[in-house]
Amino acid sequence: MPRNGNVERRTILKAAGASAAALGLATTTGCGGDSGAGDGSVTLRYAWWGGEPRTIAIKKTIALFEKKYPKIKIKPEFTDYAAYWEKFQTQASGGNPPDVFQNAVGFLRKYDKRGVLMDLKTQADAGNLDLENFRNGVLANGQVDGKQIGIPVGANTMALVIDLKAFEKAGVEAKFGWTWDEYFAALQKIQDKLKIAGDTGYFGIMYLYDLYLRQNGKAFFTDSDLGFTEDDLTQWWADGYKRVKSGLVADPKKIEQVAPKSGLSAGLAASEFTWDNFSIRYEGEGESDYGLAPIPTTDGKDTGQYLGSLMLSAFSGTKHPKEVAQFISFMVHDPEVGKIMGYDRGILATTEQYDAFKPTDPNNKGVSAYEDEVAKAGVLGKITPHPSGADVIEAAFLRIGGEIAQGKTKPADGAKALFSEAKAAFAG
Amino acid sequence: MTLVKEAPARPAQKRSAAPVAGRRGRRRENLAGYLFMSPWIAGFLLLTAGPMIASLYYAFTSYNLFTPPKWVGLDNFTTMFQDPRWQKSVEVTLKYVVVATPLKLLLALGVALLLAQKRRGQALYRAAFYMPSLIGASVSVGFVWRALFSDGAVVDRTQKVFGLDVGGWIGNPDYVLYALVALSIWQFGAPMVIFLAGLKQVPQELYEAAEMDGAGPFRRFWNITLPMISPVLFFNVLLESIHAFQVFGSAYVVSDTRCGPADATLVYTCYLYQKGFKEAQMGFASAMAWTLVIAVALVTAVLFWSQKKWVHYEEAAK
Repeated sequence: MPRNGNVERRTILKAAGASAAALGLATTTGCGGDSGAGDGSVTLRYAWWGGEPRTIAIKKTIALFEKKYPKIKIKPEFTDYAAYWEKFQTQASGGNPPDVFQNAVGFLRKYDKRGVLMDLKTQADAGNLDLENFRNGVLANGQVDGKQIGIPVGANTMALVIDLKAFEKAGVEAKFGWTWDEYFAALQKIQDKLKIAGDTGYFGIMYLYDLYLRQNGKAFFTDSDLGFTEDDLTQWWADGYKRVKSGLVADPKKIEQVAPKSGLSAGLAASEFTWDNFSIRYEGEGESDYGLAPIPTTDGKDTGQYLGSLMLSAFSGTKHPKEVAQFISFMVHDPEVGKIMGYDRGILATTEQYDAFKPTDPNNKGVSAYEDEVAKAGVLGKITPHPSGADVIEAAFLRIGGEIAQGKTKPADGAKALFSEAKAAFAG
Repeated sequence: MTLVKEAPARPAQKRSAAPVAGRRGRRRENLAGYLFMSPWIAGFLLLTAGPMIASLYYAFTSYNLFTPPKWVGLDNFTTMFQDPRWQKSVEVTLKYVVVATPLKLLLALGVALLLAQKRRGQALYRAAFYMPSLIGASVSVGFVWRALFSDGAVVDRTQKVFGLDVGGWIGNPDYVLYALVALSIWQFGAPMVIFLAGLKQVPQELYEAAEMDGAGPFRRFWNITLPMISPVLFFNVLLESIHAFQVFGSAYVVSDTRCGPADATLVYTCYLYQKGFKEAQMGFASAMAWTLVIAVALVTAVLFWSQKKWVHYEEAAK
């Protein structure tokens, strides 16, 4: 554990706690996760990000787990995505992260490098965690340098969500294997016929650019660096800005105004690239009907897609590794949990859960059908865990993309800025 | 006059009653004083002085929270001055200070002048105008502001009536900072109360004399009110500009935690926060914090130096 640097601060904190307690200011000290109660029961802290529906569902699954394992108590912690990682970073640096927490591919190497993540293989070997029955090889998403530091709860892939009515009215069709040229021609048709933009702002989405690069034999990240050149990015952003100017892509000012609602459901544009499991939100937010369409390609075949996933990771310093492993195993395999969670965090990762949950509403059915189709098309590539600092670069990509769209930064300057920020992020 | 005579009598009595125990008594009194202050002293040392010293040290290190801080000398400062986003944050902050502070003080003074006059329901008016300052710092008001200045919201529709079609302010990098300025101006209650107190101190006979000499309302304001309240004005300018340099909450909430769009509301503290807590560059963030401390100290010093030229204390008036 590389925690030497914190000794000084923690001593101060302890002293602060002690003096506060001595003064009678603090009646409780919150170290719930660390201590077992007298009756042999243990308490685990479990943290995740997400909206209210996810929280309600997860709390149900916790109740289910506690019923089955009466000796293990789960203390939930949840916030939205932005606050989640700030909080986690602070907790982890203080040596006090949650025992089990939701994780994603952009953070694996980062926290592995900092010694925060437990290698769950040891627990699997000890029989406390089942690593069988994961679909489509998605288990590999949680592996870094031969260690299993994340267990996928679901799988998702990038998709194009389209406003079905708008596409129909404009008389354009989204079909497998269509090219970028065809996609932009479709946007032009939509603009001509319906007087609305076609896309909400594709060129600021890092994961979409990753697909585009993969279609061209590159990738956004290598193991430790960026996998493209400044010129590549300048070109990507210059094209994007050109399309904002011509109205093919929605006015970024308007998109900004309607947030947190998406530009697609607000009717500002007819399509938007996003993760397929996010698509469920549009039906609730917007007035139209929405569907999933294939990613445009460069060569008419390769979409560059792969299965991403949310996963559960464990704190390497947890006092209860066995219980943590049992908890994760239950959460990813138990059929009842699968029924409760549905496709909220992507298509369920294990066969037990996938078979248990039969989607009944058109949205979930659509997501399921889409991923089946993608899997069948045989276009799925392998994901590489992002290098440490990827989260910072993703935020910079979105921010600079926004500046370019607003006409505040020139594409070439933006690309230069991203490369210099990436350099700092990799070093951090 | 009688009071003055009586006052020294008490300590004299004490002194004569116990001349030897006096020193010990005072020491005990001091001890009691320190004891009562100890929660504050402990709090100050542990929660203010300690972290400040630590952050001064971190300002010269590269520190990502996880690995031990590495001494890098002045590196943080040199990268900081070359960092275009840091420059942008300085630019945004200065713009905010320069626009928001005078406007806020102008409004505070204007309303104070109105409220200083005796009329029915005065207390109610004062409370009503002060109210926004009580709730203004809350996150919920930030959200309200976001809703007010969005595209198609109240502000947007109102300005369209006047033929100004710029869309909402929130998504527009050219306007969003002014939404923050508006939020700051709206909370003019605190300087207003201080102005009110200052206005009450101006001797009425000055006005009467000026009126007899035939001075109009503007003349009276310019030649009597302003010089007489200049110490209060100085105090308000000082306080409000320091306050404005540290703006954070409103920028963070109104711009949905991104200090944007296009870094348009990237005020200094917002960038500092991003560097520290999002990018885990605590050394850089500490360097930024200390640079802000020094900058604010400099501004304060300049203001103090300038007061000789425009602030009239009563001694000076003599």
